[in-house]
Amino acid sequence: MAPILKVDRVTMHFAGLAAVREVSFELEPGRIYGLIGPNGAGKTTLLSIIAGSLRPTSGSILFEGRALGKGRAFEAVHAGIARTHQIPRPFRALSVMANVEVGASFGRKAKSKTQEGNDASRILQWVGLSHLAQTSAANLSVGDQKRLELARTLAARPNLLLCDEICSGLTASETAAVLRLLREIQQAGTTILYVEHDLKVIMSLCDHVIVMNHGSKLVEGPPQAVQNDPAVIEAYIGKNGDQVSEA
Amino acid sequence: MAQAAPPGMNEVGSAHESSRGKLFARSLPFVSVVLLVLLPLLHPGPEIIRLLFITLVWITASVAWNLIGGFGGQVSFGFAVFYGLGAYTTALALNHGISSWIAFPLGGFVASLASLLVGLPTFRLRGPYFAIATIGASEAVRVIMTNVSLTGGASGYRIMETGAFHQLEHFYSALALAAVVVAASILVERSKLGLALVAIREDEDAASDLGVNPYRAKLMAHSLAAALTGAAGGVYARYAAFIHPQGVFAFSISVAILLMPIIGGVGTIWGPVIGAVVYGLIHEELVASFPQLHLLLYGSLLILIVFFEPRGIMGLLGRWFNAMQRRRRLSGSHS
Repeated sequence: MAPILKVDRVTMHFAGLAAVREVSFELEPGRIYGLIGPNGAGKTTLLSIIAGSLRPTSGSILFEGRALGKGRAFEAVHAGIARTHQIPRPFRALSVMANVEVGASFGRKAKSKTQEGNDASRILQWVGLSHLAQTSAANLSVGDQKRLELARTLAARPNLLLCDEICSGLTASETAAVLRLLREIQQAGTTILYVEHDLKVIMSLCDHVIVMNHGSKLVEGPPQAVQNDPAVIEAYIGKNGDQVSEA
Repeated sequence: MAQAAPPGMNEVGSAHESSRGKLFARSLPFVSVVLLVLLPLLHPGPEIIRLLFITLVWITASVAWNLIGGFGGQVSFGFAVFYGLGAYTTALALNHGISSWIAFPLGGFVASLASLLVGLPTFRLRGPYFAIATIGASEAVRVIMTNVSLTGGASGYRIMETGAFHQLEHFYSALALAAVVVAASILVERSKLGLALVAIREDEDAASDLGVNPYRAKLMAHSLAAALTGAAGGVYARYAAFIHPQGVFAFSISVAILLMPIIGGVGTIWGPVIGAVVYGLIHEELVASFPQLHLLLYGSLLILIVFFEPRGIMGLLGRWFNAMQRRRRLSGSHS
């Protein structure tokens, strides 16, 4: 199967500091991928490069056979890549519905105007925020802000969804609800690249895991194989560690 | 566009009161326009007509600035460029025998082209850097115009229209333009462009992450705002019949155009209108009473608004409306 995303030797320098070094991997369509690594491993930087927010110093990004990586996020969104943020960034002056309408109106092209309108309402219902549609986004709880972040990103109709620690700060039941949503999104045909600290979440959700450390790709493979890889154990808890439970 | 109501605005009051309030708010603009159209029947005198004319020109410029400064959050200190270029283009066109119906749009068109020249480099900057760049562009154009011999340089330029001066014709031109600008503002606020502008104002990077092209949206809004401000400059130039760079390109014009929406309520439809009415009515009195101090007074007013009521008069009205509603509810529950 042709990959939906091909990351080829991507490097990112910030004033001499290499945040990402020669990272390469491929994502197949319709699967959930985990991107893990300790703090400062370069996960969010890599996510920002794929999302078009950052222009890599070198290397290339091919999405559905098309070259991206010009550092213009809206172009990546129009191509079919959309991201959530680790800390939600709602448009506080807008209602919940209007926040979602931004994604629906400016994301990847809808088949029709009617689809644009329907998408916003349908997605709000899907994430369980339809009862708050006319509420100001400034008045939402943290959990609801995370749902809104996911809702408006989905409204942009992505083929590849990039999730940056969307469960951080959520209660166990809220986390379970978000994970259920992510599985439904995958079943609807969207590929997901999920950045997370909590290995339990990654292991239960993902089909394939990519591990980063110090800006480089350490290993990749099925969750169980990665979990027991000595290099991963060392990266997470040091040389004397004997088990990976949680980062 | 479903903008959220300010906190507390939609939580009080009965449905009846709310619908009555909405009806009042919706009918007020139409009633105001009808009153202004019929006003000359009362023979109010040339001085009142002049004051209303100037206020209508200010309304146009204020509402136009709000498109990019209020909805889009791009605080420009350089709108005198568009006002002045509109004024000069209209003046040149009129002196070449072109009808004012073509001269005003032509003024707007030239101002719109200038907005692209200003916007293409400055919209790559953000926040205070953008604001400073617009001051630089504005001053550069003023200095250039002071040295252009075609338009009389610093000595100014006179419009040689033949025929009698009809003050009411100028008044109705300004009224029609102000109505068009307010209608344009309502349309933009309800459009996809309006949604994009508010998203950019709130968080430009997050807006881009949802597919909004911030650069293009800002250029479009800036261009429209400049065209409308240029037309306002043209309407003013025809009335004044004499313009000079220290007048129409003055930094105080840029400050006034920015101050009016902030006084009234930036980012709203009616705030810039209210701000322009307040400014138009008090400006000349302030200049006459405090010729050396009026800019200091405006500066102080700006600081007070930013500190105590960033939503301007619209914010104060909202608070007053909520307080009244609460009082009514309390008195209703006690009786």
